[in-house]
Amino acid sequence: MPGTETPLTAEVFDQLRQAMAADQTGFTELYREYLTDAWHTLALLRAAAPCRVEEIRQRAHYLRSSSLVLGARKVALLAGMLEDNARTSVSTEDDALDRIAVALREVQAELAERLGSGVIPADKTAA
Amino acid sequence: MATNSIRVVIADDHPVVRVGLRNMLQADPAIHVVGEARDGVEALELARSLHPDVLLLDLAMPNVAGMEALREMTAGNLDTRTIVLTGLIDKRQVLEALQLGARGVVLKDAAVEHLSACIRAVMQGQYWLEGRPVQNLVQVLRDLTAQTAPAPRKTFGLTARELEVVALITEGCTNKDIARTFGISEETVKRHLTNIFNKLGVGNRLELALFALNHSLLPVGEDN
Repeated sequence: MPGTETPLTAEVFDQLRQAMAADQTGFTELYREYLTDAWHTLALLRAAAPCRVEEIRQRAHYLRSSSLVLGARKVALLAGMLEDNARTSVSTEDDALDRIAVALREVQAELAERLGSGVIPADKTAA
Repeated sequence: MATNSIRVVIADDHPVVRVGLRNMLQADPAIHVVGEARDGVEALELARSLHPDVLLLDLAMPNVAGMEALREMTAGNLDTRTIVLTGLIDKRQVLEALQLGARGVVLKDAAVEHLSACIRAVMQGQYWLEGRPVQNLVQVLRDLTAQTAPAPRKTFGLTARELEVVALITEGCTNKDIARTFGISEETVKRHLTNIFNKLGVGNRLELALFALNHSLLPVGEDN
């Protein structure tokens, strides 16, 4: 269940950090890029909701993809549910996007704790 | 870069995914990422021009989708071994990818843990599925084929002729139409209907039509 998932999978984060041990700045930059892109995708999803389901499916897949690779498992799960729902429904529910926003905020908070506030995209520092 | 390093191309439409994967693989001195593609067209171009040992291929990409790119790779007799990257294991997709020549399937959330080992296994001639090398590909293909085969249609004890009658009822045919279609009497049609009603527990033609639609009750051999 998405509700029981931690925002960030520690194993993925730690192994990726280890893999990029020689470039910690690049590591932080990678997660900042992820957050920037994820918030942007969420805004596009909101613009497409509730009825542009093919666009919603594609954007949800896009968000799930990067979230999986970087260990943001809860966001990935919720985006995956949105993607699956868009395959079979003619519209999407607003609260699905709200749940993704909450999960993304949790990831952002955890990343800020682990990497410092510099990981938060400039326009999201007040979020 | 080691002279005998494994040359890899990453194909994924998401830049963050490409950067993440590239950084994961850089930790392995035996692996060298030689190119990145943003869609299926670029993936094919890079496979043809760079001749990488391994192509990491996302299935859901714009322009030419991953599965189509895989098909073209196989048709083009390219030596590159393809590993499919996916967000979830869809057995049908896995089966199709293997049939099209993919050598491995790696879940994106397991990439950091398995990707390097998967690439090495594939380079040693093995197949990779579900986080480990495959010992018996034939058995895996057989299992996947069985798991992805459509479930047998439930007929609720109706005979082939009764199923045909049901199909005509759902099309709105009268008893007379049905009798003419099968070259039987209206009395026989009524008898069939009585049997059908009893077997399905429905009380009239409308209920029967709804039941048939809800349970995909179509004659054997008809495409549903």
